[in-house]
Amino acid sequence: MPKNASRYYWLCQISGWGFLGLVMVLFSSTFEQKITVKLIEFLAVVVITGILTTHVFREVIRRSGWLMLPVEKALPKLLIGVLLTCVVDSLIRIVVVDSLGLSMTRQKMDFIPRLLATTFDNGLLIIPWTLIYYFYHYIEKSRKQQLDTLKLEALVKELELKTIKSHINPHFIFNALNSIRALVDENPARARTAITELSNILRSSMQAEKLETVTFEKELNIVKDYLALEHIRFEDRLQIEYAIDEDTLDQPIPPMMLQTLVENAIKHGISKQVGGGKVKIISDFSNSYHELVIQNTGYLNGARNGDGFGLASTKNRLQILFGQKANFDIREVDGNTVEARVLIPIDQGK
Amino acid sequence: MIRAIIIDDERLARNELKKLLMDFPEIEVIAEAANASEGVEKIDSLNPDLIFLDIQMPGKTGFDMLSELERAPNVIFTTAYDEYALKAFEVNALDYLLKPVEPKRLADALQKLQLEEDKEPISEHTISVNRSILSEHDQVFVKDGERCWFVKLSDIRLFESVGNYAKVYFGANKPLILKSLNALEERLDEKVFFRANRKHIVNLRLIEKIEPYFNGGLLLEMKGGEKIEVSRRQTVKFKEMMSL
Repeated sequence: MPKNASRYYWLCQISGWGFLGLVMVLFSSTFEQKITVKLIEFLAVVVITGILTTHVFREVIRRSGWLMLPVEKALPKLLIGVLLTCVVDSLIRIVVVDSLGLSMTRQKMDFIPRLLATTFDNGLLIIPWTLIYYFYHYIEKSRKQQLDTLKLEALVKELELKTIKSHINPHFIFNALNSIRALVDENPARARTAITELSNILRSSMQAEKLETVTFEKELNIVKDYLALEHIRFEDRLQIEYAIDEDTLDQPIPPMMLQTLVENAIKHGISKQVGGGKVKIISDFSNSYHELVIQNTGYLNGARNGDGFGLASTKNRLQILFGQKANFDIREVDGNTVEARVLIPIDQGK
Repeated sequence: MIRAIIIDDERLARNELKKLLMDFPEIEVIAEAANASEGVEKIDSLNPDLIFLDIQMPGKTGFDMLSELERAPNVIFTTAYDEYALKAFEVNALDYLLKPVEPKRLADALQKLQLEEDKEPISEHTISVNRSILSEHDQVFVKDGERCWFVKLSDIRLFESVGNYAKVYFGANKPLILKSLNALEERLDEKVFFRANRKHIVNLRLIEKIEPYFNGGLLLEMKGGEKIEVSRRQTVKFKEMMSL
C-alpha cells in the first residue's frame, strides 16, 4: 500500500503540474501569439517550484498526522499551511526567476507588491492542490473505516456461526444414550439402529463446521435420525409428519440449521406438553423461494425469548449465505401450534 | 426396606432405573409417575421414603413439584445434563445422578441414604407420628427464584409473615415461601415452634437470649441475631412452656 500510494502520488503530482504547464503554454500561444524559450523556462520554474513546495507541504501534512484529525481541527492548520507554502513558493520563484533573468513582467515592481501578487497567483494553484489532496485522503479514510467495520462484522458473524454449528445439545445426547441403554434389553434391534442414528448425528455435527451449505436432503436425513431418536424417548407423546417436495431435496441450506430448529421445536414445544404433540416438517417451492416450515405443538408466549441469540443469528446466517432476500420468522398459528419458516431465494443458491 | 417412587417423564428411563435398582434388594419401587402432578398425587397417597426425581419434565419441573409438597421426602435427582439446575441447587440435596446412571454412583447414593437413616430413623417415625404435624426432623424444600434448598425444620430459626408469604430464616438465607403463618403454625410441632406474635414464629431451640421487655413482654434474640418481641398474651404461654 505505501509503495503503491507513493507511486500514485508522484503520477498525480507530475501529471497535474505538467498539465498546468501545458495549459499555460497553450494559453500564452493563443493570446500572445509567441512562445519564447524564456516563457518555457519561466513555466518550468513555476512547475518545478510548485512540485517541490507542495511535496514539502505534503510531507509536513503526513508527518504531523493532520489527515487523522477531525475536519474542524484539520482545516485551520491546513489554511495556515497553504498560506506558508504559497509565500515560500513565491519567494523561491522570485529568487530563481530573477537570478536566471526570466522575469516576464515588463514594468519593474517593488518587492512587497510583487511577492503579494505572486503569492495570490500561487494560491490559485496551491489551494486547489490542497483541496484535492485532502479530500482524496478524506474519502480514502472513510472508505477504509467502512471496510474495517465490514471486516469486523464478518469476523463476528463467522464466530457466531461456528458456535451455532458446533452446538448439539448435550442434554439430547445423554438422554438418547440412556434410552438406548434401556432398549438394549427391551428391543436389541431397535437399540442397534438407534446407535447408528446417534453416530450419524454426531458425525454430521462435527463435519458441519467445515461446510458453508449442504443439500437439503443430507440435512433432512440427519433430522430424520434425530427425530427417530427423540421418538424412542418420547414414545407416543411425539408424532412426526413430513411433507417434502422431492424437487427441493437438492437445494442448498446451511448445515445444522434445520436440525437446530427441530431441536427447538422439541425442547420448547413437545417436551413442555404433558400430553406431547406433533412436529411437522414441510419443504416446497413458493414463488422463487425454497420454503422450509417447521411446525410444532406448543405456544410461543416468550418461551423462545431466552433463545434470542439463536433466532437472530439464524436470520443473520441465512442472509450472509443467501443475501438480503432470505428470511426467517417464527409465529404462533391456530392457537396451539408454533411455526418457524425459512425462505431461501432459489436463483442465488450456490 | 426403603419404599421408593420413580418420577420421570420417559418410560425407558424409568425402566432403566428400575433395572439398576434390582441389584439393591433393600429398595422397593412402589410406584412410578410420568409427570409432576402424578408425582404429587402418588407421594401424598403412598408416603414414600425416597423419590428418584427427574428435573426436566413437561408441565412442571422436579423443583416445582418439590416446592408443592408439604414435607419433602428424601430425594435423589436424576438428570441427563443440566448444569444450570445443578448449579442453582444448594449442596444439601441428598444426591443427584447423571443419566445414563453409573451403577457405582447409584450404590454410593443409596449408601449415603442408609447412613442418614441410621442417624434418624425417618421411616419409623413418619409412619408412627400423626401425619399432619411436621416434626423437627422433617425437611422442607424451599425454592426462591433460581435457588433451591432442602431445609431441616430444626435448622429454621424463624418464620416471618410478609403479606401472603412467609420469610424463612436459616443459615444466612431468608427465602420467601407462599404460605401463610397461620397455615404454617397448624402444621408445625408446637413443642419446638412458638408463635411469638402476629408476625413471627420462632424455633425455641435456636433462641440465643431472652430479655424482659416493656409492658410485661419479652424480647428474644435468635441465634442469627434477629430480635423478636413476644406479645404480652403470648408471654404468659411462653413462660408456662419454658418453666415446664
